[in-house]
Amino acid sequence: MRYAAIALLSCLALSLACGGEQAGEGVTITVWETYNNEERAVFLSLVEEFQAANPGITVDPVNIPFDGLEPKVLTALATNTAPDIVRVDVGFLPKLAMRGAVHPLDEYASARVTGELRPVTLASCRIDGHLYGMPDQVNGLCLFYHKDLFAEAGLDPEDPPETWEEFVDCAKKITDADKGIFGFAMRNSLWWSLPFIYSFGGDILSEDNRQCALSEAGAVAGFQFKVDLYSKHRVEGGAWRAGGVRDDVGFQSRKYAMVFNGPWAVRGLQAAGIDFGVALIPAGPAGHATNVGGNNLAVLSTSMHPEAAYKFLEHIVSKESQARWANELGQIPVNTAADAMIDLDKHPYLGIFMEQMKYAVPRPQVGSYPEIENDTNPEMQAALDGKKTVQQAMDAACKKISVILEEEELLKESLK
Amino acid sequence: MGGASADPGKARVRARRVRTVILYAALTLAAVVVLFPFFWMIVTALKMPGHAFDSEILPRPPTLDNFRRVFTEYGFMRYFLNSGIVSVSSGLFATLFAALAAYAFVFKEFRGRDKIFAAIIASMMVPGLMYVVPQFAIVKKLGWMNTYRAMIVPHLANAFGLFLLRQYMVTIPRSLVDAARIDGASDFQVFGHIVVPLTLPVIATLFLLTFQFHWSNFLWQLIVANRESLYTVPVGLAMFKQQHEQLYTLKMAASAISIIPISVIFVFAQKYFIEGVTRGAVKG
Repeated sequence: MRYAAIALLSCLALSLACGGEQAGEGVTITVWETYNNEERAVFLSLVEEFQAANPGITVDPVNIPFDGLEPKVLTALATNTAPDIVRVDVGFLPKLAMRGAVHPLDEYASARVTGELRPVTLASCRIDGHLYGMPDQVNGLCLFYHKDLFAEAGLDPEDPPETWEEFVDCAKKITDADKGIFGFAMRNSLWWSLPFIYSFGGDILSEDNRQCALSEAGAVAGFQFKVDLYSKHRVEGGAWRAGGVRDDVGFQSRKYAMVFNGPWAVRGLQAAGIDFGVALIPAGPAGHATNVGGNNLAVLSTSMHPEAAYKFLEHIVSKESQARWANELGQIPVNTAADAMIDLDKHPYLGIFMEQMKYAVPRPQVGSYPEIENDTNPEMQAALDGKKTVQQAMDAACKKISVILEEEELLKESLK
Repeated sequence: MGGASADPGKARVRARRVRTVILYAALTLAAVVVLFPFFWMIVTALKMPGHAFDSEILPRPPTLDNFRRVFTEYGFMRYFLNSGIVSVSSGLFATLFAALAAYAFVFKEFRGRDKIFAAIIASMMVPGLMYVVPQFAIVKKLGWMNTYRAMIVPHLANAFGLFLLRQYMVTIPRSLVDAARIDGASDFQVFGHIVVPLTLPVIATLFLLTFQFHWSNFLWQLIVANRESLYTVPVGLAMFKQQHEQLYTLKMAASAISIIPISVIFVFAQKYFIEGVTRGAVKG
């Protein structure tokens, strides 16, 4: 009797199926997005605006954990259950596009729309000459510095270093290894090293994305400078080592005076009550430079309504939407026409972030960027540990990268 | 008179005391090591956002705001309900089916019985992840996307559970079952009145293990649910790890709550659980 009761209760639970189908007329566009709560609130209001202006189209946003997005999208693509639009990291888009999973937008996007987009964001959507998405969010690393620690070292907190030479001088003045205070702290992955590599005139791949360029003079000089900060100038606190205090953590606890970070860090630092400034990444022989991160919105090739989906994306990247996005969230607008509408009093750092994006270099649009990063990181680690010279490490990385690139070429051939 | 005989006695008592002290010291140390992550989780949950990495041990001032936000700003009320429905029904049904199947494999004679059993056991060698895409395709074909069914049914056949229960049921004396059959008991009566009561510790253990598996299952629940109203606790927890920042204080608050059901069940079923695990191990 008791078993029967339990069994019945469970049957009831089983039959409480939630229907996912949408009733009614018109077109429904499903969007899988990975926004945080604040972004999502703004996004939902943009969705409402769009629906009010386009009565035939319903937008159905589903919030997915950022970490779970890739397996979920790949499973959905394998079984034809993918949504119409998905928000993806800029590094993941080429992988999807290469496999034919993304609907090109060339036929819908007018020159007026693409002309307004921030060039670096547009570059992150263009792969092999086609437009595979609309930019959603763009950012790059800047130099964050502690105003207190600058003042304590007798430096002017309103005058951050502008070149790498000034940067080293400044970091040396602040560093007090006995007290555990260091001028700088860094991470050691390829992406976090790109500001060094670019500002010394290096790059990851050759222009045509077919050759590894990390072993060439520019990249080697850039990475050598990074290694020197730790082992020669001794101004870096070893944040990149296993067991070291991470750069962002040590910045908060006043151990590190300067770190790289991006617009996403501002809110947390303000909440923690840190008196910090943001500056351009110091200039090297090749001038100022930074890397590009962010997200794009892609229409998947399985979508039944690509045109309606594009229409929605056009609304998201419009001047008005982007101005709102920037003003409410303190993020860089992807539409340059929105720049003039930004309230810089409310977001004092946004001006610097936007200035820095002028010097941002997009990553190579290859599907295997994540693999390139994974194979290069241990080599960079070996160079920092002093187990290899920078040239040896970069040669070894390039050897691995050329294998990855060859595999990608073969895959591309087989997918044609 | 007693001096010579009392000394060794005292020495023995002292030796025992020393041993006890060492034992307790070692156990205390082990307990601290095991419990420290839980302590740290709770302490972090009581910190203000942005202060997760402050060096002080106890937050000043402690705040319950993270717990409030987990339920009001993030839909954890719903996620807990979903996790409860999925874990309880998966646990119950998977255990019931495993017990029925084990009964058949032990007490019924049929052709190819042992070969079928071996084949089922062999299926345990295939890594579970291999099943994800085919299972997902089937669920999709059945039109079960975004339903509790999709979250529960594919995991009800549990080869490990069958193995665990069969190995235990094999040790039940045949004469008990035969006696009941002679008295006219049906299969279900034998199952319900003899086999299940005797197997209860192992059944309880299996329920706990399956409950725990489903309570913490992330990937499957992530891919079959495209509605936040169907998300389970692990999927909700993943929301706190964003592209650039981890909302540590919120994550720890939600994690602290998420271990409550398992802790409660474990405390109540501790006797069965430990007994069951060791029995399974010895008799297996």
